[in-house]
Amino acid sequence: MNLFENIRLALEGLRANKMRALLTMLGIIIGIASVMAITTLGSAMTGSITSSMDKLGGKNITVSLDPKDYENYSEPKPDDYFTETELNTFKSHYPDKIKAISLSENAGSGKLNSGFIHKDISLTGTNPDYSIVNNINLVHGRFISDRDMQSNRKVIIIDTILKNTLVGENGDPLGLSVSVETALGNENYTIIGVYQKETNDNPMFSMGDDTRIQCFIPITTAKSLDPKSSVPLTSYNTFTIMATSETDSSQFSITTKEYFNKNLGKFSDYTVYAMSMESITNEATSMMGTLSLGLSVIAGISLLVGGIGVMNIMLVSVTERTKEIGIRKALGAPNSAIRSQFIIESIIICLIGGIIGIILGAILGITGSFLLKFPVNIPIKPMIIALVFSMGIGIFFGYYPANKAAKLNPIDALRYE
Amino acid sequence: MSRKIIEMKGIVKSYYLGTPNELEILHGIDLDVYEGEFLSIVGASGSGKSTLMNILGALDRPTHGSFFLDHLPMENVKDDGLSKIRNKKIGFVFQNFNLIPRSSALNNVALPMLYAGKSRSERIHRAKELLKLVDMEDRGNHRPNELSGGQKQRVAIARSMANDPAIILADEPTGALDTHTGRMVMDIFHRLHEEQGKTIILISHNLELAEETQRTIRLRDGSIIENYMNGKKQLEGCYESI
Repeated sequence: MNLFENIRLALEGLRANKMRALLTMLGIIIGIASVMAITTLGSAMTGSITSSMDKLGGKNITVSLDPKDYENYSEPKPDDYFTETELNTFKSHYPDKIKAISLSENAGSGKLNSGFIHKDISLTGTNPDYSIVNNINLVHGRFISDRDMQSNRKVIIIDTILKNTLVGENGDPLGLSVSVETALGNENYTIIGVYQKETNDNPMFSMGDDTRIQCFIPITTAKSLDPKSSVPLTSYNTFTIMATSETDSSQFSITTKEYFNKNLGKFSDYTVYAMSMESITNEATSMMGTLSLGLSVIAGISLLVGGIGVMNIMLVSVTERTKEIGIRKALGAPNSAIRSQFIIESIIICLIGGIIGIILGAILGITGSFLLKFPVNIPIKPMIIALVFSMGIGIFFGYYPANKAAKLNPIDALRYE
Repeated sequence: MSRKIIEMKGIVKSYYLGTPNELEILHGIDLDVYEGEFLSIVGASGSGKSTLMNILGALDRPTHGSFFLDHLPMENVKDDGLSKIRNKKIGFVFQNFNLIPRSSALNNVALPMLYAGKSRSERIHRAKELLKLVDMEDRGNHRPNELSGGQKQRVAIARSMANDPAIILADEPTGALDTHTGRMVMDIFHRLHEEQGKTIILISHNLELAEETQRTIRLRDGSIIENYMNGKKQLEGCYESI
C-alpha cells in the first residue's frame, strides 16, 4: 500500500465531504495565518530597525566617562579626560580596526543673525572625522579641518535649508560672515561649507526630530566659548569610534573599554563606558524577536484549537466509516494500512489548511508591513516552519482516531450499520 | 485423493461475557474441505453458522481446536497475519454485498489487490478481466449505488476472485436478491466451480440452494448434525474418496 494510493483515497474522502473538510480546515487556516502574519510583520519590523540602526551608524562605538558611583561623584579631574594625544595613540594602535574617531560637543542653541534674517539654530562643536562617522553629506565648500581645530577658527557649516534662506537657491554662501548669539555671548563666524540634511524616512525614528537647524563649528572653538571652563581644549569626556567594516564592533567595544580603563587612574571616580551600535541593534532585534514569539504563541493556541477540531472530525469520520473499515479489513487490509489511510487524510486536511493559511498570512503580513512602511520581504523560513508544523498537527491529532480505526475488530465493524 | 484445503479438529468457540458467564457457541467442530469442493453449510439462525464462517474466513480465532487452512496452521497467528491470510487465501461474498460506496465497481474489485501490493496497472488489468468474467465489464466505472442488487453481487463475486483465493466464502449470497437474480448468482458460482475448479463454501439457511452443492453440512446448536453428499448421508471419514 503506497503513499500515492493513500493520498488518492484521502482526497476521495475529502471530496465526499467538502463542506465539512473546509470547516475543519478553517481552524488550521486561521491559526497558521495568524502565526504567519505575525512573523512576517515581526521580521519586517526587525529588518526596519536594523537598517535604521545601520543608517545611524551600524559600526559606531560610543565611548564615554561614566561615574563609578552615581550617588556621589565630582567633576572629572584633568587626568580622567581623553586627550587628543591618547586618542591618536589609540588610533595608531589599531589602524586596521578604526576608520575614524569623531568628537562632538553640544555648544548650546542660539540665533543666527545675518542682516534681517534671524534663525534658531543649535550649535555642535566637532572634529574633522565627525563628517565621516556621522555621514555628513557636504554639498558646498569643505568640512572642519585640523588647522581650524588648532587655531580655534570661527568657522561654521550650515545646512542647505539655511543656505537657501540666506543666499537663495543659486547663491554662494561660502565666506559669508554671520553672527551667532548664544547664552555665552555673540560671536561672528565665517561659513565654510553647506551640508545636505538627510531626511529620516523611518516612521519609528521620526519622533523627536530636532526642528532646529544644526550647525557645526570646530570643537576647540566651541570649548573656547566658555571662559569659565577649566577643561583643556583638547580633552574630551566622550568620543565615537567608527570601526572598519570587517571589525566586530561589539567585540572591539570591549577592547576599547579595557584599553582606556588601563589609562585611567585607579583612584579615579570614573570608569570608561563603551557601547557599540551593533549591540544596541542586537538588543532591539532580540526584543522584537521575543515580542513576536510571544504573539506567535498566542496565535499558536488557535492552532491547537484547530488541531482539536481536526481530531474531532477524524473521530466522526472513523465512526461513520466503521463499515468501510470492516470491509477493508475483511479484504485483507492490515492495521497499518488503515492507520496510515486515516493519518494521511488528517495530514492532508492540515496541509491544505496550512497552505491556505500561509498564503493568507503572508498576504496579511505583507499588506501590514506595506501600510506601516516597513521593508517588505517574503518570509521563506516561517513558511517552511508553518508547513512542517501543520503537517505535525495532522500527524499528532490524526494519530489517535487513526489508531482507533486500525484497532477495530473486523467482525464488529462489518456488522456495524 | 484431493488436497485438504480446510482441516478443522475439535473447534470450540466461546465468548466470555464477564467471568462466570461463558457462552460456548461451537462445541467441537470437525470439518475437512477438499480442494475443488462446492460445499454448503446450513443451519437455522443461532446454530453457529456465522461464528463458524468467521473462523473459516480468518476473521476470528477459535477458542480451542486445531485449524489448518491450505496447510497453514491458524493457531497463534497475529492480527496482521490473519489479514494476510484473508487477503491471499479467502474470497468473501456477503449477503449485503459490502462494496465500498465511494469507489467505482472497478476499484472495488481491485481493492484486495491493493492490499496484496500489486501495481496499479496490474490491478486495473485484472479487475477488468474479473468484471468480464461476471459480465459486468461495461459497468466498471459505476458506483455501487448505481447498480442493482444482482449487479452488486456480481461485482462482489469478481472482487472475491481478485487474489485467486484458495476458497470462496459466500455468506447467504442470494439472501438479499429475488429468485431470478439469486439464480443468476448461483449460476456464477457453479460456473466458477466447474470452469475454474474453485473451492466454494456456501453458507445459507436455504436448503434448496444447499441441495445444488456437492456436499451439505447441517449445523444445529453449534454442532454438525448431518453431512450429506449428493443427497446421501455420509458417515464420518467416508467422504475421502472425492
